Amino acid sequence: MTLRGLGFDPLRPLGALLFLGLWQAASASMAPIMLPSPWSVVKRASADFWSAPSLAYYGVEDPSLFGNLVYTSENVAIAVLVGASLGALVGLAASRVWLVRALVNPIMLTAGTAPIIIAAPFLLIWFGVGRASAVSLVAFYVATILYLFAERAARNLDPIYEHSALTLGAGPRRLIRDILIPATVPELLGGFRIALAGAWGLEAVSELLGAQSGIGKVLEVLAGATDAQGILASLILLGVVALAADACAAALIARFAAWSAAGAQRL
Amino acid sequence: MSAAAKERLVSLAVFAALAGLWQIMSRVYVVEAQPGEPMIPGWQILFTRTFLSLADYWGGGFGVPTVADGAARTYLAATLSLLSHLAFTLARLCVALALGGGAGFALGLAVSWSRFTRALVEWPVHFLRALPLLAMVPLFQLWFGATFLGQSLFAAYGIGVIVFAATVNAVRNVPQIYIDNARLFGASRFALYRDVILPAILPAMRSAALLCLAAGWSAVLGAEYLGAQTGLGYVIVYAQQFAYLDRMFLVALVLIVCTSASFRLAQTLFARWLVWAPPSMRA
Repeated sequence: MTLRGLGFDPLRPLGALLFLGLWQAASASMAPIMLPSPWSVVKRASADFWSAPSLAYYGVEDPSLFGNLVYTSENVAIAVLVGASLGALVGLAASRVWLVRALVNPIMLTAGTAPIIIAAPFLLIWFGVGRASAVSLVAFYVATILYLFAERAARNLDPIYEHSALTLGAGPRRLIRDILIPATVPELLGGFRIALAGAWGLEAVSELLGAQSGIGKVLEVLAGATDAQGILASLILLGVVALAADACAAALIARFAAWSAAGAQRL
Repeated sequence: MSAAAKERLVSLAVFAALAGLWQIMSRVYVVEAQPGEPMIPGWQILFTRTFLSLADYWGGGFGVPTVADGAARTYLAATLSLLSHLAFTLARLCVALALGGGAGFALGLAVSWSRFTRALVEWPVHFLRALPLLAMVPLFQLWFGATFLGQSLFAAYGIGVIVFAATVNAVRNVPQIYIDNARLFGASRFALYRDVILPAILPAMRSAALLCLAAGWSAVLGAEYLGAQTGLGYVIVYAQQFAYLDRMFLVALVLIVCTSASFRLAQTLFARWLVWAPPSMRA
């Protein structure tokens, strides 16, 4: 068997090396304050990971990249869990209850096209600088996406399943628990993954607009100090965390939707 | 009445009810963000005082004097102010869509030319897509300053990455039989791209285009929130610093109407371009 036959393509790491080489070459021809070399960014990320005294000087509450990554991740986790459960529940309800759909659908369809970031300055005034405004922004974004996925998944579900359950004497509660939720889980998890990917940037921008902690706050002070190296180091660490979270979500989909075509496909 | 017409009527009723609820809440909840600035401004304030106050953001020109020069607030200046800032926002969006969409599409097609280049870019693109776009505003400000070009390039980057990944993916998913068939009839590489691959990927590009539009609006607003001197996003954040909730609300409403209209336009365009495609491909 060849390497490629095992699912390994040597061209992919080669492409990554090429990318790093291009970055290195570009950084060599530019001032380090504009584009630092990849190696110096890695060194900076590891040096500032546990303790970055300069951040304390700029007024960041927790002077380490790790502490701020944790803060940002906590916010994203809370927002994604709250938003996803709310969005999915309301979406499923809207697909089956006419009144809920009539009331919620126009609002959610509009929210689905409007850039949610519009709401950030409002939330800062209503909830003040802190966790609440960032979490509610991200939660609303996640809820919108999950609502749209849940509503569509439940609407596209072949009615034969529900008819069959009703014939066998299932009540509304069992109908929801045994038919509606399992049948829409693959789509819901797919939407969950998309929402999760967008949540990190939204959380960061909310912190950039006003926060005392978090990677967004770190980016804000580093931008004020025109510290490209620090900005890139923080961004890449945030990207790594986002990738790790996405990998967890993918594993979740593989575990809970393994039986569906969507679960196998989205791996 | 058809189901679609009924649905439209219901959603109109919902929005009317929301507007009414807002008015009632403005009477019930009279807390002020600062003296004279209600937390929930009623419509009678929004369309008179608030709209007039947008004249403050008018930069001058067309013989209409600015408030900064001591002129009184007029409806003309307010209208011009709103239109000019909207024009700046739309200009950023259009430049970004053209640059990012064009570059992403061209590079995507170029990379799809062979299996080798496709494999080479896979990991770097995966990496770039993992970086949260909106968190990159400070980086672009550092590189290009708080300029029109920098804000447009930032949004263009966000759009470009999406279009690039979508194009490569779409070309990979073109059924091999289309390509083999065209080759059998002696199509050149160029003809193959023009007559087979480009039309075949159009349905797949529809969802990418809608994603880009959403990313483009977010990116432009993010860039305007974090350091621009023009645009509706700038007006919102500038008003936020003085807790002028009414101005923020009015401008945000204008923005939501614009984004909805832009999505409607994109969907109509793609529906027209995809008349030939079977319904299953248009989803």
